[in-house]
Amino acid sequence: MTAAFLIAAKDLRLRMRDRSAFVLGILAPLGLALIFGQILPDFGGGEFVIDVAVVDDDGSDVSSGFATTLSAVESTGLVDVRSVDDAGEARRLVDEGELDVAYVIPPGFGDAATTGRPASMSVIGNADGQTATLIAASIARSYADRITATQVAVATAIAQGVTDVPGVVSSAMEAPDPVTIADITAESKVLDSATYLAAGMAVFFLFFTVSFGVSSLIAERTDGTLPRLLAAPIGPGAIIAGKAIAAFVVGVVSMVVLAVGTTVTVGAHWGNPFGVLLLVLAGVAAALGIMALVATMAKTPEQAANWQSVVAVVLGLLGGTFFPIEQGPDALATVSLLTPHAWFLRGVADNAAAAGLAELAGPLAGMLAFALVATGLAATRLRRMVEA
Amino acid sequence: MRKVLAIALNAVRRLLRDRSSIFFVFIFPMLLILVIGATFGGSFEPTLGVVAPDTALASELTEGLRQTEGLAVEVVVDADTLRDDVQRARIVAGAVIPADYDATLTSGGVAEIDYVAGPDQLARQLQAAVAAAVARQSRAILAAGVVAAIGDTPFDQTLQAARAAADSVPGVEVTVETTGESLFENLGRFDLGAAQELALFVFITSLTGAVALIETRNFGVSRRMLSTPTSSGQIIAGELLGRFAVAVTQGLVVIIGALVVFGVDWGDPIGAAALLVAFSLVGAGAAMLLGSMLSNVEQAGAVGVFAALGIAALGGAMVPIEIFPEGMKTVARFTPHAWLLDGFAELVRRGGTILDIGSQLGVLLAMAAGLTALATLAFRRRLTA
Repeated sequence: MTAAFLIAAKDLRLRMRDRSAFVLGILAPLGLALIFGQILPDFGGGEFVIDVAVVDDDGSDVSSGFATTLSAVESTGLVDVRSVDDAGEARRLVDEGELDVAYVIPPGFGDAATTGRPASMSVIGNADGQTATLIAASIARSYADRITATQVAVATAIAQGVTDVPGVVSSAMEAPDPVTIADITAESKVLDSATYLAAGMAVFFLFFTVSFGVSSLIAERTDGTLPRLLAAPIGPGAIIAGKAIAAFVVGVVSMVVLAVGTTVTVGAHWGNPFGVLLLVLAGVAAALGIMALVATMAKTPEQAANWQSVVAVVLGLLGGTFFPIEQGPDALATVSLLTPHAWFLRGVADNAAAAGLAELAGPLAGMLAFALVATGLAATRLRRMVEA
Repeated sequence: MRKVLAIALNAVRRLLRDRSSIFFVFIFPMLLILVIGATFGGSFEPTLGVVAPDTALASELTEGLRQTEGLAVEVVVDADTLRDDVQRARIVAGAVIPADYDATLTSGGVAEIDYVAGPDQLARQLQAAVAAAVARQSRAILAAGVVAAIGDTPFDQTLQAARAAADSVPGVEVTVETTGESLFENLGRFDLGAAQELALFVFITSLTGAVALIETRNFGVSRRMLSTPTSSGQIIAGELLGRFAVAVTQGLVVIIGALVVFGVDWGDPIGAAALLVAFSLVGAGAAMLLGSMLSNVEQAGAVGVFAALGIAALGGAMVPIEIFPEGMKTVARFTPHAWLLDGFAELVRRGGTILDIGSQLGVLLAMAAGLTALATLAFRRRLTA
């Protein structure tokens, strides 16, 4: 065991002197998180307010009802209502993107609606604001259908032979909505962009950081230091353990530095530190196991490094470290769970959403499963490799 | 000239012989175009999850939501799954239609739909779409309730009459039209990401190519070449041409591959080729400069990857410049990526030709000239030191 620690200590000293390790392990993820923090707009609450204008060329009681409807929506902060003089001006503002949507209520609208003649109002949206147009049109449709409901009531009364038509009209106008919508706020378990990028970059580069563990073993074989180690009274198990300990320590240290660093620099919010530590330990174990397994398939240190980068990059991509693939098509979201990266990010999201440590069980189990399977396979292959 | 070409050809040969570099240079960019296109491509439609019992009115409401233009509807098995999907942003928001929806409404009661949304603005706004679908269905139900109460007729029978009436009344219509020029309308599913990946990967390959330059020097190849009747100018030109050839080769494979496999539109071919050439010149100059400044292979590899990723991010090759904050848009102007992407935007979105991208090409060529001049000075000093 002493031998294992000595080997680990030697490897750690080597790593500390290697500046490229520092670049890839700390500088790159931290720098990229900083850059992304600068270029990404803050999508935080209240940003996406739809700018609308109403052009009421009708001026009736019915059309002013729409303004009342809109100001109720405005008070919830979802839209911002401006006043614009005429339809042409409103259209121009929408065209130029100054306004998201313009409502135009033509003359005679209220008269037509109350006398059962076809009435129509228009919603003018910007070609690039499909969703804003959808929402604005929905608000108008709710209002229009509430008026239509009165017309339907009148027609129904006549069809059913009910004679008190004025009674039906006033009753229909007063009637409460038969369906109400209750707001239920679901607390988000999605990371804010700063934390997502920090955690994504950290776990992506982690795979490169720990990859030296087994590669250095192959290098020792190529350089001829491995037979010398084996000639000493050191078992192959101790050599492998030494390499693993060194890589594990470097991985954990760099992740902790990144977690603290991104918290300070870009305001990442990783949540409960103890939860972060558990996730980091499991993540480093998974990364170490997978990178070791890949390296055991290679013959030369160069080949090992190349294959490791391919695996690290593909897993990182599928695991959603570059962009939130979980929100993509179902098939991709499912494939994503076949990577430890996805479990790590999910764990950080749960942890940041202040979920209890018990809720981290799933992500932790996901990463440890990768760690166990990969490490098990890698250990057997490594022992054979060292002994051979 | 023969010597210059021989040195350049050697660089391309080294690239093609390394199998794992084939993955990063040719396959990985395509993979990214595929995954990004699958995830973000196509027009963006917010998705609303719906949990609905298998009853007539509930199904009618779901159908009404489906008909909403610009809204994607996904049926979800139960309220818990819906909540989880919303929390993980798999869907923007969700509506849970209660199991007794039909029973409540046909008995004249008030039904309550749960609208499950996260704290973000879009999720709250999307409630308007649910309200509109509900309002449409409610016309007949509300009318039937009123008439049944006043005329003392059975609700069921009145509802039938009201549904017929709802189809026949003139009603109040809402017409929707759009105006303005859409920036993204003519883009195919994979178009948006393709130019970004081209910029990102050609530059990564260029900068990591600095490693090859350092190797050539460290292994003593350069010194041996100098001992032959080859001038340092020829060596520098050869190495530059080699880096350039590697970049163009990669760029062509990505452009043609994306065109054939994903049908990506690159716009005017001559304009696209000119952009690629200009950008590759910048890449070659940057590679030479990096390769002249550093002397350690591992360091050059790590610094090259980091610098390439960082500059790409700043230049809009990862996140579209259109959504950058104003200050960062200015910073982006200092990267070649921004000019390349701007050029392709001109070619693809506005159907421009090579004549319309003069300024983009000019800036790229100026960047290439500047970098090459600096690199030549630095490289010559290294070579002859």
